Amino acid sequence: MQYFFFHLMGWPYLPEDFEARYDSAWIWLPNQLYDPVKGQDLYREYINTLAYADELGFDGICVNEHHQNAYGLMPSPNVIAGALTQRTRRCKIAVIGNALPLYNPPLRVAEEFAMLDVMSGGRLIAGMVIGGGPEYFSYQINPTNARERFREALDLILKAWTEPGPLLWNSRHYFFRNVNPWPRPLKHQNPPIWIPGVGSAETIEFVAQRRYCYMGIPYFHLDVFRRVFGQFREACARAGYTAKPEQMGWGIPVYVAETDRQAREEFEPHLWYFVRKHMKNINITPPGYTSPRSALAILKNRSFFLPAQQTWDDIEKGVFAIVGSPATVRQKLNTYRKELGVGVVLTGCQTGTLPHALARKSMELFAREVLPHVRDA
Amino acid sequence: MFETLKKLKYGARVLLSKGGGQPETITVAGRPTVIRHAGEGPAFVYLHSTLGEASSWLPFYQTWARQFRVLVPTHPGFGDSRGFEQIDTIEDMAFHYVELFDALGLDEIILGGVSLGGWIAAEFAVRWPERVKRLWIADAPGLWVNEQPLPDLFRIMQHPAQTREMLFHDPHSYMADLVFKAGGSEEERLLNTYQNLTVLARLVWERPYDPKLPERLHRIQCPTLLLWGEHDQLVPPAYGKAYQKYLPHAEWKLIANSGHLPMFECEAEFVEAVTRFCQA
Repeated sequence: MQYFFFHLMGWPYLPEDFEARYDSAWIWLPNQLYDPVKGQDLYREYINTLAYADELGFDGICVNEHHQNAYGLMPSPNVIAGALTQRTRRCKIAVIGNALPLYNPPLRVAEEFAMLDVMSGGRLIAGMVIGGGPEYFSYQINPTNARERFREALDLILKAWTEPGPLLWNSRHYFFRNVNPWPRPLKHQNPPIWIPGVGSAETIEFVAQRRYCYMGIPYFHLDVFRRVFGQFREACARAGYTAKPEQMGWGIPVYVAETDRQAREEFEPHLWYFVRKHMKNINITPPGYTSPRSALAILKNRSFFLPAQQTWDDIEKGVFAIVGSPATVRQKLNTYRKELGVGVVLTGCQTGTLPHALARKSMELFAREVLPHVRDA
Repeated sequence: MFETLKKLKYGARVLLSKGGGQPETITVAGRPTVIRHAGEGPAFVYLHSTLGEASSWLPFYQTWARQFRVLVPTHPGFGDSRGFEQIDTIEDMAFHYVELFDALGLDEIILGGVSLGGWIAAEFAVRWPERVKRLWIADAPGLWVNEQPLPDLFRIMQHPAQTREMLFHDPHSYMADLVFKAGGSEEERLLNTYQNLTVLARLVWERPYDPKLPERLHRIQCPTLLLWGEHDQLVPPAYGKAYQKYLPHAEWKLIANSGHLPMFECEAEFVEAVTRFCQA
């Protein structure tokens, strides 16, 4: 049973009247709202927080890629991961992930991930994603064949890592005469592959067939995760094997304080900042990004997504976050992770406005009073 | 009251035009393509917009069918036409149509279309000018005007009310209503719209025009009509003027009370302008 600490590196300084004035924290939010001087302190604090997770005994830390938004300030998670290879000693570094269709050539991912793997002494987990809908607006990359390009790029990267170069690559979207990345990754074949997903049947099926790890992106109702991991196990069975728990990761914000009441008081305002500002219109879906049927399903399932939640009761009932005393968090984590059958939990508490000191306190309590009691199978 | 009468009248005309233009499917270069046709006379091909208005036989097709052999194909990826996975660019669309016209034995045609359809017509005509007897283009993208960047439809479409305002001069008219509420249940409409916009996105997402088109338009020497809704906000009249710059022999016609979709918003004036031009 492994516990990772994920971080979005959100921007905490959005104006009070953000909801009234702006459509979304994505794509079109004027970048004059970003202040590089404040940004400098923020990166330092955020990197410190992630390095602290290593010290405290989390099994790994997660960073991810988003563009032109206030939700996550890592347009290149590889830059942050590069810094973390030098600030951490023990934990895995999961980059979940690089949005492959956004890289041309995708060989860039093969190179940078290999660098990170070598620099960290083989601690990289290589996350590969299609990338969220908004990224396709930000990068003007065609969303209608993103899935096709994702699969081609993924196979290209794996081939570049596992077969001796130079070699030739020829597929519908990519042609390379000289595939020969220096450096190569440290691991025997390639770093473990994690694919984050939001529950689409196509991704579940694909990850199961390839025997990769499926990471359920947080911010969904518990029922969504119940369905997703059930479907994943079925897909693995159809592919002729039994899903291993470590192939399944559950993303869930976790905040721990001395008592239940204190935990809620300390955390709740910051969760709503995240929900109402950073997640506003996050589900912008460009046409062709999914099949029309999947797009309709996303639309219909909006009420199971965090941005649709209105009250603390909604958060608790849907298990959108686990917030409480060490005893409460222990009990809830054990109940749900066992029910879901997952072997990886991606926890996180930094929502943007949460003061750094509170984030550290929650992490300490989690490491000391929760972690030792939530490891058994 | 007046609006209701207008609605009833349009409904009656839709009923009357039924029976014309039954769909047939022809396989073109491996792509099953739906085509509706009626009438006799010179071959007159209408290329539809991103609305996908080829999925039923509309009154204005019926009007043209009194004098022409009207053919209304459905582009790959729209409605029941297949083979979208083979289409990457606007050029692929032009090649799709040369294959279709070959399959139908159409050597010479009157060709025209609205919006996306007009652009495909232009791309066809620069490649096979000898096959186009007359060309009309309405409210079509294809070029780029620096002074007036095209609005981002893919952003606007997130807001249905804004989309309506962008498409119609009078977004509250009965035709605007009809266009927005046509085509079955809410769910079917959403699926349809998403599918149609997927085809458009495939063609225009990275670059919403063809940078080669200006240097190729001179190849079109046949009589050409450019007609534009005066209040087209999606592809403003400046884009029609840009076509005219490269097609100096083209006739120019503005439709005073129309937005982007003159065939719905000012049907009579639109149909008459096209008919008069094509008869001449």
